[in-house]
Amino acid sequence: MALLEIVGLKKTYPTGETALRGIDLAVDGAEVIAVLGLSGSGKSTLLRCINRLVEPSEGLVVLDGVRVSELDRHGLQRARRHMGMIFQEYNLVDRLTVLENVLSGCLGVASTWRAVTRAFRKDDIERAMELCSRVGILDQIRKRADQLSGGQRQRVGIARALMQQPKILLVDEPTSSLDPKIGAGVMELMCAVADEHHVPMLVSVHDLDVATGYSKRIVGLREGRIVFDAETREVDRSVLHSIYTDQDAA
Amino acid sequence: MVLGEYGITLDDARRDYRRFVNLRRLIKFIALLLFCIFAVWTVWYMNIPLERLSGMFGRIGTMVFNRMMPPDFDYALTENVFHSILETIEMSFLGTVYGVLLAVPVAWFGAWNVTPSRSICYPLGRAILVLSRAIPPIIWAMILVVILGFGPMAGTITLVLLTLSFAGKLMSEQVEAIDMGPVEAIRATGAGEIKIFVYAVLPQVKAAWIGIIIYNWDSTFRASTILGFVGAGGLGLYIRSTTQLLDYERTMGIILVVIVLVIASEILSHFARRRIR
Amino acid sequence: MSEIEAADASGIDGAGLIGDANPLRPRNTILKRYCLIAGFATVVLVLTAHVFAFQTDWARTGGLGQMLKTAAWFLPNLGYFPSILLALFETFLIALFGTLIGMVIAIPVAVLAARNVTPAGLASYWAGRVTIVLSRSVHELIFALIFVSALGLGPLPGMLALAVRSVGFLAKTTAEAIENIDIGPVEAIEATGARRMAVLLFAVLPQVFPIFVGNVIFQFDINIRRAAILGMVGGGGIGLIFAEQIMSLAYDRAGTVVLGVVAMVLLGEYISIRIRSWLL
Repeated sequence: MALLEIVGLKKTYPTGETALRGIDLAVDGAEVIAVLGLSGSGKSTLLRCINRLVEPSEGLVVLDGVRVSELDRHGLQRARRHMGMIFQEYNLVDRLTVLENVLSGCLGVASTWRAVTRAFRKDDIERAMELCSRVGILDQIRKRADQLSGGQRQRVGIARALMQQPKILLVDEPTSSLDPKIGAGVMELMCAVADEHHVPMLVSVHDLDVATGYSKRIVGLREGRIVFDAETREVDRSVLHSIYTDQDAA
Repeated sequence: MVLGEYGITLDDARRDYRRFVNLRRLIKFIALLLFCIFAVWTVWYMNIPLERLSGMFGRIGTMVFNRMMPPDFDYALTENVFHSILETIEMSFLGTVYGVLLAVPVAWFGAWNVTPSRSICYPLGRAILVLSRAIPPIIWAMILVVILGFGPMAGTITLVLLTLSFAGKLMSEQVEAIDMGPVEAIRATGAGEIKIFVYAVLPQVKAAWIGIIIYNWDSTFRASTILGFVGAGGLGLYIRSTTQLLDYERTMGIILVVIVLVIASEILSHFARRRIR
Repeated sequence: MSEIEAADASGIDGAGLIGDANPLRPRNTILKRYCLIAGFATVVLVLTAHVFAFQTDWARTGGLGQMLKTAAWFLPNLGYFPSILLALFETFLIALFGTLIGMVIAIPVAVLAARNVTPAGLASYWAGRVTIVLSRSVHELIFALIFVSALGLGPLPGMLALAVRSVGFLAKTTAEAIENIDIGPVEAIEATGARRMAVLLFAVLPQVFPIFVGNVIFQFDINIRRAAILGMVGGGGIGLIFAEQIMSLAYDRAGTVVLGVVAMVLLGEYISIRIRSWLL
């Protein structure tokens, strides 16, 4: 059985716009999978439907045997602890310090009292610091999150997601708001840590080169449908280009 | 790409963090402790009977539901009381009108950037704004009742002062925030201070001022409902008289009328604000 | 388009008599405008006459001269000042604790009244909003009366009256701030599987913290003025002394009290400004 299985996922927004028209996807080992598509192709929606930040209209999402799409509120909270998400806009809490932001990754398991007093457990703090060291922001942990540069903030986001010790990483256009050079560093870091922790990673990108450069498998999305799903080396560049330009011309 | 080696080891970071967090915690703890001591001292110093708090909700409940219900609306509609409702509205209306009329020059004087005279007008304007704001409206009302006698005149003037303090201050702040460009331009033509105000300042602040005036009406109207308590006209008089006579159902009737009026006035200003946009 | 916008759009009201042939300002607009102003002015004058002439007991008030004389009675008697210092201090404390208690109550009410985080949908939203409206429509004197009858005379009912009164403003502005927060961090914390309370504490409240604190300080400033009068109905503080002096016709002492109140208010404003710059 695959770690993550998506069957017949559909999403139509209340405005009438249909973002996903039936997605079938299976994620097995600890691979990096690029979800490739232009804006509006539905890649963001797809990721958000997996952890139900966006509620799917139809379909099934199963993570490690748990039918996520059918869980009630409390079940969903428990399931989300195993899904780490990294956002395009970093989504850190500006007023809190870097370390507190990383520690917020374990809020899913922390008791309410700990959340109020911000008194996290010692081993959690220890683990958070190790993660900060790994992503290269150890010297910034006391700074407020809004004092960091974009690249640094995204690294905090990575550490926060890893703090959850997730079974899968959902990454939504992580480098779209970054300089290409900085973005490349961030992508490398993400792939390296995902590999170290043996966690599969679903990364949505709109850039072909990023997709081919970092992922083992590419899933192409176009207007809410998967148009191809294959290993990167099997994918012919000209095929990809033609799909892109087709959409461009349309 | 270098990651993780910025001259800090994990051990350093741990020690540093622990010290920092402990210091922060200590400071927070001391602050909280000092505050608790202060609170306890206050309770002792002012002889606050904390034990009366238990049962407070019970007593309020009894008072509100047994003695103040059912609200005596008929009383609220008797001739005298009805007149005082009209009087309340009249007072707030006049108070706002005259208050705004006076607030315009006072706001102008009290604005540092365009005040006609920094040595005379500015201190005068500022003094009026500060003084009218520093004295609570009810105290103003009581003083004016002594000087002018009972009745809505004292109340109206109190509301004028209230408008000056509230709208006047906000209006003055708006003036201080304008673009000085047009002011310089008009000044360069040799125009006098008043013309500068009318042609360069007023057009810039007109829109914001109207919003302020509407906002001010809300607070003026609310104040007008209570000024009668000290004899300055309006409904407040009946709140006092019914309370003193222990006619609590009547008091409740009047309080509810006040609430309805205030809500109605807020809805009106809400629509007025919408229309302005 | 409202009258005001129409007037604005047509340029400065410089030339203005009806006879001028100004293509930008058709006759009817000018006519309409003047009629409106005239009507308004008439209403104002009529009402003014009503208040001025008919409702005022001129026999007792006397002429302008008498009014000025009466006003002069209020000139402060400085010798009396030391005896009211303690009462002023009490008033200050009542304002302080009233604001703090109100601050504590306002936080959950604000959460209820914020459309995006209210826990039980429309029911809790309206509960929050109604609380805010009630708190703002009822004057603190009335709240003080209620609390005095439930708790007896003293500073405690005064503090509670101020607390309840402050909830309205604090909860309203905080709820508005909550409705305007950046939803990104909220999504992020929700995505970690945190409970509702943790999401609130970690993602929502830190974002509104500066606005909240600023408003608490502002409200403290206002509450100093309110506390000064609560004594009149038994809520502690200097209000009672003021009422007593007026009733015993000791107007100079009353003037001293007013002076004391002004001093206290100015002191409170100064402290507010210092705390604001220190915290934010």
